[in-house]
Amino acid sequence: MPAARREPGRRSIPGMTDATEPAEPGLAEIDLTDEERVVLARVAEVLRRINFGTVVLVVQDGKVVQIEMAEKFRLR
Amino acid sequence: MSDATATLTPPAREAGIPKLSVDHLTVERTLANGERIVAARDVSFDIATGEFVCLLGPSGCGKTSILNVLAGLAPPSTGRALLDGAPIDGPGPDRAVLFQDPALFPWLSVRANVELALELIGVGGERRERAREALASVGLADVLDAQPHELSAGMRQRAALARALACEPSVVLGDEPFGVLDAQTRELLQNEVQRAWMGSGGRTTFLFITHNVREAVLLADRVLVMSARPGRLLEEFRIHAPRPRDLDDVLVGRVVSEIHSLMLRELEQRDA
Repeated sequence: MPAARREPGRRSIPGMTDATEPAEPGLAEIDLTDEERVVLARVAEVLRRINFGTVVLVVQDGKVVQIEMAEKFRLR
Repeated sequence: MSDATATLTPPAREAGIPKLSVDHLTVERTLANGERIVAARDVSFDIATGEFVCLLGPSGCGKTSILNVLAGLAPPSTGRALLDGAPIDGPGPDRAVLFQDPALFPWLSVRANVELALELIGVGGERRERAREALASVGLADVLDAQPHELSAGMRQRAALARALACEPSVVLGDEPFGVLDAQTRELLQNEVQRAWMGSGGRTTFLFITHNVREAVLLADRVLVMSARPGRLLEEFRIHAPRPRDLDDVLVGRVVSEIHSLMLRELEQRDA
């Protein structure tokens, strides 16, 4: 699939399972808490924005307290 | 996720006129033997109000030449340099410049150096108090009446930072301001600059040039990486991590190593 740029928030996340398709066996069994859903939604939001870069989740006392990111753009 | 959770996603870029703008800028320099060299070639970038940008590149890549054009100390050879959308045609009090040498007047006390800068931009009665406040904010409250030669190199550079900030410029341009300092003093000054930027509440725009990758990633919202001479822009890194940052932060370390590899590849290609 060509890596066409789409509007932020409207892009699918490469490498992630489409929720409308049957998930891989192990994945479907994960029972997410509401808090985990919020974290993953935030991560997805970040992933949809960037094409190249790094995303770091900072965990304290078992909770994700911060999502940091660095994006890379080629200028030449 | 707790309420304290912060998602550091890109801030919406303000539409409108950038604070600083470099548009297809080429800068040539004349060497002592009369030879003309192209220091930087066809460089374009915008910096929004309140952004902290570091221009990073190997020695001789034209970083200083670009900064000198933005400071109004040198004209562009071709292309344009704009401040608030208007061409830059000379230095002005709206742009403070921090050089590698603190450039304090040796016969004036630290406080008098800051007061003189305030006097030159027309500050009246509150000069003395503003100078004291600026110096106190960088930890120099105890040495207001010292002469520059009585201070360490780090304290002199702090005084220069205080002088720049006291004038409340809208832009602070730094030309390797910590280049000659020892590693520990450099880290302290980097923290002072982070604090100063945080304290400016998004009003002050910073552009620092450096060849120190760690310094760039520690300080900047955006790092623009340049090639060797003639300098061109290679890659841009946008860093969304809270301040004050630490060199041990995972994201900082990761971006530093990525930029190191990029610069190494670039130098190897040039030498091949």
